[in-house]
Amino acid sequence: MYSIVSTAIVCGIQSILIQVEADVCDGMPALEMVGVLSSEVKEAKERIRAAIRNSGIRLSPKKITVNLFPADIRKTGTVFDLPIALAILSAYGKIAQECLDGILFAGEISLNGEIRPTSGILPMVLAAREEGKRVVCVPKENANEAQVVNEVTILPGESLNQVIELVKQFHAGTWHSAKSSDPQHDQKAGHAAPVLSRKDYDFAAICGQKILKRACEIAASGRHNMLMLGSPGAGKTMAAQAVSTILPSLTQEEALELAKVYSVAGMFEQRERNFLERPYRSPHHTISLAGLAGGGTVPKPGEISLAHKGVLFLDELTEFQKPVLEVLRQPLEEREIRLARKTGTYFFPADIMLVAAMNPCSCGFFPDRSRCTCSKAVIERHLNKISRPLLDRMDLCVEVLRPTLSELTEAKTEETSAEIRSRVEQTQRIQQTRFAGTGISYNSQIPSTLIKEWCPMAPEGEKLLRDSFERLELTARGYYRIIRVARTIADMEGTKRIERSHVQESLLFRSLDRKVWNWE
Amino acid sequence: MKENNWRYNEVSSYAVLQDCEQHSRGEKGKGLASYKYWLSCLTFLAGKKKICLEAMFGGAREIYHAEENDISNLPFLTDREKELLKEAKKQSLGKLLQELDDIENAGIRLVTWQEEEYPGKLKEIYNPPYGLFCRGKLPDERQKAVGVVGARICSSYGKIIAEKIGQGLAKAGVAVISGMASGVDGAAQSGALLSGGYSCGVLGCGIDVCYPAMNRKLYDDLIQAGGLLSEYPPHAKPHAMYFPQRNRIISGLSDCILVVEAKKRSGSLITVDFALEQGKDIYAVPGRICDALSYGTNCLIQQGAGVFLNMEDFLREMHIFAESGENSSLKQKNHLENLERLVYSCLDLSPRSIEELLKETGMPLGALMENLETLQEKGCVSEIYRNYYIRSDVSV
Repeated sequence: MYSIVSTAIVCGIQSILIQVEADVCDGMPALEMVGVLSSEVKEAKERIRAAIRNSGIRLSPKKITVNLFPADIRKTGTVFDLPIALAILSAYGKIAQECLDGILFAGEISLNGEIRPTSGILPMVLAAREEGKRVVCVPKENANEAQVVNEVTILPGESLNQVIELVKQFHAGTWHSAKSSDPQHDQKAGHAAPVLSRKDYDFAAICGQKILKRACEIAASGRHNMLMLGSPGAGKTMAAQAVSTILPSLTQEEALELAKVYSVAGMFEQRERNFLERPYRSPHHTISLAGLAGGGTVPKPGEISLAHKGVLFLDELTEFQKPVLEVLRQPLEEREIRLARKTGTYFFPADIMLVAAMNPCSCGFFPDRSRCTCSKAVIERHLNKISRPLLDRMDLCVEVLRPTLSELTEAKTEETSAEIRSRVEQTQRIQQTRFAGTGISYNSQIPSTLIKEWCPMAPEGEKLLRDSFERLELTARGYYRIIRVARTIADMEGTKRIERSHVQESLLFRSLDRKVWNWE
Repeated sequence: MKENNWRYNEVSSYAVLQDCEQHSRGEKGKGLASYKYWLSCLTFLAGKKKICLEAMFGGAREIYHAEENDISNLPFLTDREKELLKEAKKQSLGKLLQELDDIENAGIRLVTWQEEEYPGKLKEIYNPPYGLFCRGKLPDERQKAVGVVGARICSSYGKIIAEKIGQGLAKAGVAVISGMASGVDGAAQSGALLSGGYSCGVLGCGIDVCYPAMNRKLYDDLIQAGGLLSEYPPHAKPHAMYFPQRNRIISGLSDCILVVEAKKRSGSLITVDFALEQGKDIYAVPGRICDALSYGTNCLIQQGAGVFLNMEDFLREMHIFAESGENSSLKQKNHLENLERLVYSCLDLSPRSIEELLKETGMPLGALMENLETLQEKGCVSEIYRNYYIRSDVSV
């Protein structure tokens, strides 16, 4: 007898539907599986055989053939256990084919027939919905993840026997979702309201540091990349964490895309609780290239993609391996990561706001010469660890000074993240109106060809910029960066034209000087 | 050998020097020069020993051709030095000639102690260098010379003061002798050249090696407008051992030593020790007592060094009379607006960041930036490092 079951495979963060066919006929007893299978899928044969037997189902010895198609995609991952098992059982006549039609199955099976959770469920459910399948059967532990998708009925699978019962009941129309009493469902309703769990990272916790805070606000408003320079313990990490709290909440669409990335990475539970919160990732400086950009023969997203739509914080920027840093260049420009493999090119989203921190010199005290013992050559070597192209992508550079004791102990109420966030939202709205229909949404993305159109300048501002160009030996890139930041500062004030004061402030945050002493 | 029981310690090097001067005169030519070059390049022998050797054997050529036995019997060389000398005698003459040709083509001159050009001041020190490799002009005997030395890793205060001192000395017609190091040395020398004065750099490496490499411009300028000299053979890499020794040449060439900034244990203090040994005056630029970089100079003052307060007094004490420079700092201040003066008063020669200035002046960011901008235009303030400001209109 013949049967067919639907399942799906994850490619990048997209998912493609796969059909599993099974045929049972007389002949030499065997279980043959074909269809470009990777070794973990081939191993499914043994798992399924044991799981079926341990579920108390006896199958007579026959020749079983299983085929997974389309055949031009290499099948990897562990989601095929459940669909293959069901296809075989259906081919033996244990389940009616009608019960399986229109349902997408995914899940790993253990030897005793239990269904185990797996990664990448969310993209699969989305793909199923696109293909018109309104019912999915996924491992119980992944049910929350699948529930994020609207208009899809979820059948939570616990064990092989239970799934068989479940599909039969569902077909008969006697199955009722326990949704109303399901606490998970209440939580899903709660997704709509932004949950801000990061009270401990609030801006109110940072004392003094006026310039740093200002830089953070500008950076968040225009989604500019930011580089902080400061001695150890000056509060760079705290500021970076706080930046993620002043970014506006994700839209439902963005949140779903991000959830897909986390689902593929097998980290969906991290998004569950704060679905609309911007991610904040701070990988350690020993991270490998694959860890940052994503990798593996079947690529998994890296830290850049996990920080999609949020903040990627790289502390001790100079300590990262050079090739690891250089890999940032392309995603910062194109806002996605392309990983080319033998089996095809995988895309991961990587629209990040990069916040980096580094010491001004090896000992961290420069320019306080009474404490800094680094020679000029040492400092220059230190700064040279960051390549020019990467530095060119940092719109704002800001010094972070150690707060004085009086600042720390002073009982002054600082602005909270919520207050700053409302301003940031306001500034971002201005940008969205301006850029409506152009494909860009933030000032940091203004192409240099459109600078003139979108960044009109007051004559005094233009004069200051011209003078500074000579004095500070700016590059063309540096010049445009200053204008973009000035645009954001002007937007924060709600002015159409960039005034002199905006340029002046923007110059304050201009890119790092390679030359240690300016006048030489 | 003239006398076998010749006792090294009893004869001062200066006497030996005069004795030998007659001997070597008249014998000029490539051949002799290459022997002198050979002797100059022996880094394991101190200058005074080379001079003694030459006095005993009658010339560099005679040393080169001396019997091994004669060298073994020398009383003032250590066993190791004897071994190395015997080894060095095996160098081929042709190769030496070739090398000499090469360095002459590269514009390097070798001046040995018997020659006219050799600075007389150096002949008076305990351990005069035997030969000096030089480029540019050697210091003029008649010109007063001040050795300006200090920390390589210096503060902006040290750097500015050194540069102003270099300029002031140059204007008064005084030569600036220093080590062309980064920090104070280089700043003083570039200051001197900037004001059209003479400066001489004494290197602790081969004359054709620019160390530190970032002083390339100063190195080139010194060849053009000043002088460079080194007692080490060309191509010699900078060696930790060389620097303390070259300091004796700096102090030897100078009439007095001025220390701008020095930490507790600083190489500049070695120069000071040599200078004291040679009977030169020591001056130090005072600093704040809490600054690590002024500890050494303040200590010198405590021990009795002259205090450098301004150029005028310093020159007077050195018996140099030059027209007095006007005190521009005071004048300028009167041109400042109220707010500018407030910002200016918060600045000094150590860099202050915008953040600190914000706190201190209590001004809003925009106004502060505006005032700093105008102050920069007026030349009172400069941005030394991004978002760090110092006063720039100081005069010494």
